[in-house]
Amino acid sequence: MLVLARGAGVLERLLRASILLSLPIAISVVLVSVFTRAGTTVLFTIGPFDATLEGVEFAAQTLVRLFAISTSIGLFILTTEPRAFVFDLERRGVSPRIAFIAVATIEAVPTLVERAAIIGESQRARGLDTEGGVRARLRGLLPLVGPVIITSLTDVEERSLALESRAFSRPGTRYLLWAMPDRSWERGLRWLLLAALVAAALARITGRL
Amino acid sequence: MLKLDGVSYRYAGYATLVLHDIHLTLADGEIVGLVGANESGKSTLCLVACGLAPGSIRGELSGGGLSIDGEPMAGKPLHEFSTRVGIGFQNPATQLSGVTGSVFEEVALGPMNLGLRQRETVERTNEALARLGIEGLAEREPRRLSGGQSQLVVIASLLAMRPSHLVLDEPTAQLDPEGTRLVGEALRGLAASGTAMLIAEHKTDLLDDLCSRVIALDAGRIVADGPAATVLADPKLVGLGVDPPARVRLARALAERGLDPAMAGA
Repeated sequence: MLVLARGAGVLERLLRASILLSLPIAISVVLVSVFTRAGTTVLFTIGPFDATLEGVEFAAQTLVRLFAISTSIGLFILTTEPRAFVFDLERRGVSPRIAFIAVATIEAVPTLVERAAIIGESQRARGLDTEGGVRARLRGLLPLVGPVIITSLTDVEERSLALESRAFSRPGTRYLLWAMPDRSWERGLRWLLLAALVAAALARITGRL
Repeated sequence: MLKLDGVSYRYAGYATLVLHDIHLTLADGEIVGLVGANESGKSTLCLVACGLAPGSIRGELSGGGLSIDGEPMAGKPLHEFSTRVGIGFQNPATQLSGVTGSVFEEVALGPMNLGLRQRETVERTNEALARLGIEGLAEREPRRLSGGQSQLVVIASLLAMRPSHLVLDEPTAQLDPEGTRLVGEALRGLAASGTAMLIAEHKTDLLDDLCSRVIALDAGRIVADGPAATVLADPKLVGLGVDPPARVRLARALAERGLDPAMAGA
């Protein structure tokens, strides 16, 4: 995974993102595993809790799995343009409607963040305190969330009307203009990875791994 | 020809009619302006004229209904409207699909939805971009365009469907003067090429320049329908919340000072 990330030039970003994303779960896994897992070898004691070697081993195993999952997801996100991914799905037979909803949802996030910032600024300009203590921030949330949701809903309605006027609801095949480049060695690599996945699953089921 | 024959419209869940007995004909190649105060029914009329109300927005349409080129459109699926009448709204940002990476892809989305082969989609896209003179934007990211440029892309996207009629609901309302100028020039080009258009606008200078006929709406009823020069010069318009074009205001100012209004070209 890390070799692939290095090859794609995203190793540093991947490590940072994976660690940041898995840190909250990792902390709780370590605490729960090390101090509550029963074992014969006690490494040290804090109050009523014994840290066992078995607990440390289990925590390490879980952390490796967690890291594997977060880096896989992270590598996918960092190296795949969402638009390219869903249009390719459509090319492979997924409904354009589903593909559109998926892309629109992903692409809407930066727009929503941008809009929330604009609305936040305008509410602050009218005297709303959004930077004080927790209570002030909570009070400031409603005047911010309301307009963001309402304007977003209006936008969605207008966008769906605009799409309707461009035959979006027409059933039947669409001939896409664009296709992901898919070289033969990439197809070969995918099959190889799939075979490795099946082999690993079989080895795991039969107890050889 | 697009025709609304004594149409009335009520939104679902509302007791009152938004449009009352509307008779409107948009002949091939004709440019008709639509004026009226906010809430006068302009946007609803635009939605009804392109089949989105009640096709997509629930409501009750009564009267003779909508026909295009002599064919009644009642009950037709929405995608069948898209090649006959295209609609553009105020805010260009919400009309861009948000799922394309370039202007070319954005304009090509409609023809693709029609199930056209790649060659025809590319041909239509190039043609639509050329008609508005925005070939240079083809590779640009739609999100990074100015308001005026975005609105041109929206209109190009509609043109790529090759509709015989265009309905534009305040196409310059959210644009700065430069954006308004860009869109105005594009509409002038389309008008010269014979595209039939119904344009709802508050900026009456644009309508004065483009339209052969203007319709005024008040509380969902047509209160004036005639040659653009006559309707836009009608003193009643001010009472309806419509500012007359600069040419008419100047003519009035000249007349008030005892000068010849013809000096304003009115």
